[in-house]
Amino acid sequence: MPDYVDEEISRKPYDPKIMRRLLNYMKPYWAPIMLCIALLFLMTVGNIVTPYLMKLAIDNYIYNISAESIRGIARISVIYLAITVATAIMNYIQTYVLQYTGQRIIYGMREEIFSHIENMPLGFFDKNPVGRLVTRVTNDTDTINEMYTSVIVNLFRDVFMLVGIALAMLWLNYKLALVAIAFLPIVVLLTVFYRKQATEAYRLVRVRLARINAFLSEHIMGMRLIQIFHREERKQQEFEDIDEKYFEANMKQIKVFAIFRPAMDVVYSLTLAAVLWVGGGGVLRGVLEFGVLYAFVNYIMQFFQPIYEMAEKYDILQAAMAAAERIFILLDQKSSIEDPADPVLLDHVKGEVEFKNVWFAYNDEDWVLKDVSFHVEPGQTVALVGHTGAGKTSIINLLSRFYDIQKGQILIDGINIQNIRQADLRRHIGVVLQDVFLFTGDIKSNIRLNEENISDEKIKEVAHYVNADKFIESLPAKYDEPVMERGATLSAGQRQLLAFARALAFDPEILVLDEATANIDTETEALIQDALEKLSRGRTTIIVAHRLSTIQHADKIIVMHKGRIREEGTHQELLAKRGIYYALYQLQYKNMEIDA
Amino acid sequence: MVEFRTLRWFFSKYKARYIYGILCLLAVDVLQLVMPWLLGLITNGLKQGTMTYASLGKYAIIIVAIAVVIMILRYIWRLLIIGGSRLLEKELRDRFFAHLTMLSPRYYNMHKTGDLMAHASNDINAVRMFIGQGIAMATDSFFMIIASLIVVFMAIDWHLSLLALIPFPIMAASALIIGRFIRDRFEDVQRAFSNLTDMVEENFSGIRVIKAFVQEKAELKKFAKANKHNMDMNMRMVKLWGIMDPLMQFLSALSFIIVLYYGGMMVVNDQINVGDFVAFNGYLGMLIWPVISLGWVVNMAQRGVASMKRINVIMHEQPEISDENPLDIEEIQGNIEYRNLTFSYEPNLPPVLKNISFKVKQGETLAIVGRTGSGKTTIINVLLRLYRVEDNHVFIDDTDINRIPLKVLRESIGYVPQDNFLFSTTIAENIAFGLDSYTMEQIEQAARIAQLYDDVMSFPEKFNTIVGERGVSLSGGQKQRVAIARAIVKDPKILILDDSLSAVDTGTEERILKGLREVRHNRTTIIIAHRISAVKDADQIIALSDGQIVQRGTHEQLVNQPGLYKDLYEMQKLEEELERTQ
Repeated sequence: MPDYVDEEISRKPYDPKIMRRLLNYMKPYWAPIMLCIALLFLMTVGNIVTPYLMKLAIDNYIYNISAESIRGIARISVIYLAITVATAIMNYIQTYVLQYTGQRIIYGMREEIFSHIENMPLGFFDKNPVGRLVTRVTNDTDTINEMYTSVIVNLFRDVFMLVGIALAMLWLNYKLALVAIAFLPIVVLLTVFYRKQATEAYRLVRVRLARINAFLSEHIMGMRLIQIFHREERKQQEFEDIDEKYFEANMKQIKVFAIFRPAMDVVYSLTLAAVLWVGGGGVLRGVLEFGVLYAFVNYIMQFFQPIYEMAEKYDILQAAMAAAERIFILLDQKSSIEDPADPVLLDHVKGEVEFKNVWFAYNDEDWVLKDVSFHVEPGQTVALVGHTGAGKTSIINLLSRFYDIQKGQILIDGINIQNIRQADLRRHIGVVLQDVFLFTGDIKSNIRLNEENISDEKIKEVAHYVNADKFIESLPAKYDEPVMERGATLSAGQRQLLAFARALAFDPEILVLDEATANIDTETEALIQDALEKLSRGRTTIIVAHRLSTIQHADKIIVMHKGRIREEGTHQELLAKRGIYYALYQLQYKNMEIDA
Repeated sequence: MVEFRTLRWFFSKYKARYIYGILCLLAVDVLQLVMPWLLGLITNGLKQGTMTYASLGKYAIIIVAIAVVIMILRYIWRLLIIGGSRLLEKELRDRFFAHLTMLSPRYYNMHKTGDLMAHASNDINAVRMFIGQGIAMATDSFFMIIASLIVVFMAIDWHLSLLALIPFPIMAASALIIGRFIRDRFEDVQRAFSNLTDMVEENFSGIRVIKAFVQEKAELKKFAKANKHNMDMNMRMVKLWGIMDPLMQFLSALSFIIVLYYGGMMVVNDQINVGDFVAFNGYLGMLIWPVISLGWVVNMAQRGVASMKRINVIMHEQPEISDENPLDIEEIQGNIEYRNLTFSYEPNLPPVLKNISFKVKQGETLAIVGRTGSGKTTIINVLLRLYRVEDNHVFIDDTDINRIPLKVLRESIGYVPQDNFLFSTTIAENIAFGLDSYTMEQIEQAARIAQLYDDVMSFPEKFNTIVGERGVSLSGGQKQRVAIARAIVKDPKILILDDSLSAVDTGTEERILKGLREVRHNRTTIIIAHRISAVKDADQIIALSDGQIVQRGTHEQLVNQPGLYKDLYEMQKLEEELERTQ
């Protein structure tokens, strides 16, 4: 279910520390950014010059006609055209360069976040929901991109425009300019007031929209229950109420906006009227050229725009700060499992595994394993049995160092696994998990994962060896059959066989396996058992076992209960003992034997 | 546009709103057209020296007055038309949800929540945009263009008009065509983005496999590729999208240059006066927006039509289960009978229930046992009429279930589902889910029977504790007990416990069952369970296997004959022993 409730940590609208860090990402791109600013400057000059050109044309050649008029108008038209073309081209280049720069920065930032998360230990993933982590990589960075492209650089455009027009007006006629500038504070006040209202209205709209979405998704999922309890009308009423609230928030926003824009136009008209009145008087008295008045009409039209734009950017800035804070908090988290500074190299492994007084807890002192010790000779097969929560799966996790233990030692060929690089360690251990995770792609890519040096022949060979070839060959596209939606179309047994093939393709010296508990039809079950037997041949194998035949073939059985090893031995030895294993056997496996 | 016929109710309801809104919009347009004309008059007045201070002041006042009137009218039309589209959005969404409440579980099995959510937000939004902004923009553009054209052609000079307007059709066409290409590329961007999101999501979900097989580096490469693709798609769009703004600027400037050159010449040659020249520029400036937005309106309309079509598909979906020809029954007693029921979820699928027959009298308890997938829950689904069964197979009080009004049927049944779905509201609200109104005594009483009371009182907020993400996360057993309280607070004629005691320990289970027995003696109860302790006191036990009843009888009868029930019994005894030895 998507996360409709946004989790904003930041309460501070602006944090200079975060801003500094964000600006740091721009540093490598200072050259294109300077280019953009320079282009923006030139474009602004172009925008300011064109009304002046009109003034020249009107004053010198149109309002006051002379012999020069025709040539003069032609000349000014050509200059006007040249400026227009140049501005348009600069505009395009600026947009492109700016967007490209923003995309580059975000590209790098995404890579940094992704690889940071990718290298975090499993414990990190237990604590952070996947959806939230994905948001960091994708949506939060998008928000920041908007800040880079439309806030930081475009701020220059607004300032250039505001200052440029003010200067142009002052230069043309300072008295008239002062009349126009006198209205600026009204515009600023109006805009600030509007922003406050608009931000509040917008926040309300968002909160209420989130509520609608949350309600909808929850009630679509719980529709069955609503119908069973005959609550359709009641829920309809509830929905209409929150929909009404959302409507009200929207109306409020519409009202705020419907007042502001027309009000801005009134201020513009007021300024225009004042300029016309004062300036028109000047023209009447002959102290002001008509073209100046004309240019002012044009300038005023553009004068107030930057203020409005700048206010708009404030919201983007705020959203970006919140997103950046979330990202930086994540990036500042260090991985709790580090590779040793001076690792022992591990080329070949015999496959001797030893747990020495291992204590382990996922959280604090909530011990999942208590003083666990056992020893596996190279090539042996060990079955772990016991109730759910006995700690069997934890043993498998710890051997690959997905988590670090609190006390004791785990040794492979007599080497403490904490002295080995994680990648080296895991390369020697093949893992088959209970829930076989399949990736989007095809059958082949799910066996070889990303290892291009595992050839198609090798894939067919391992698939054949673990009995997966029969069902693969029956698929329409065989080894190229696409795997959709995490392999939902494949049965649990087929997925298990694929996982075997995957493990074998990497040819590890040690195999750890969490047997599937799901219902598997007898035919596939036989294939799995056969494959498992072949897989474990000559390979150290540790299995969390749920099936009797698996257990019976094991060299050693370890019975776990509540985090401790309670019994250890072969099937016959343990049965003779008449202890927990015996009871478990009676309870869980006896019927299977009868069935088989 | 036929798609919008389904919105007729809306337009007939709010006809006046739209008519007044459009009238205000047109009035604004007319007033706007006066402005350039005024500027022309002022120019000529200044030029010819007929202007005085007094008349200049008068003009200034007129300009401000017009602006104020425009402001008021704009406010009104925005409220009427844009507000109207929000009204449409609201009422359409209400209807959408109302329709969803009528669709059967079968529909929800085939449609993902995410898709339905997308219809409720994106599609309704697209329709709203078209009905609000779209209609306003279309009216505005249409009128402004026609009116401006009439004014410049008639009042000023048609030669000049014809020349100056050359760039405008190009503007409209490029807004339309480039706009469409931009949309295509934007869709590519969205695809690339969701591709990136999916890749990241899949990677994090499968992190265990990736780490186990040391695939981090290779995955980073894969990510870099998706990341790069996303960037490339963005740049591909920017390339096109970046053209829009400069192009429009250039074309409109071109128009001004033509007026400057050609119109200037005409003033010099005394074919038009300076005032006309100034006014003409004003009209041109006024035409730019309507012309550009013409292209947008077309795109907006297309999107609106496509979305409306998708919404209509859902709204036309016929509810599978409804009251057809119901009898006038106000209450049921609770005598249940299944007669030779064979049932499959889809006509072409093998049956899930085969020839099921049993009878439960009012006040009796029926227990159903069987492995996962044996058809236990299906028996319940049929009784709740979540799926349609043929007539003459399932009866309550000797009446065919299909003829009992849904309201009466479902209000008489208290159901505790397997999945413990709770809503994210308070515990009290969750328990009172099936009641129209309630007292705290009722809630507490139900909570006591469900053995939930002590748990709830240990929470700081007690019965006002919010359940779920935003509040306390309850344990599986607590959730189950809330669901039990939710069913019994209704004091139903029939109570169904669908494997609803699996997460509570045997002691609690016993107390719950005892409590249930005590409260009401004439209540019919159906219990589906895996534990013998939950079913052993039932008046009748049936064992299901592969959709068939393989055994039936009481505990004493079944425990003494070989079969499913006895196996279950022995397994459980062993388990208890094991529990004791440790």
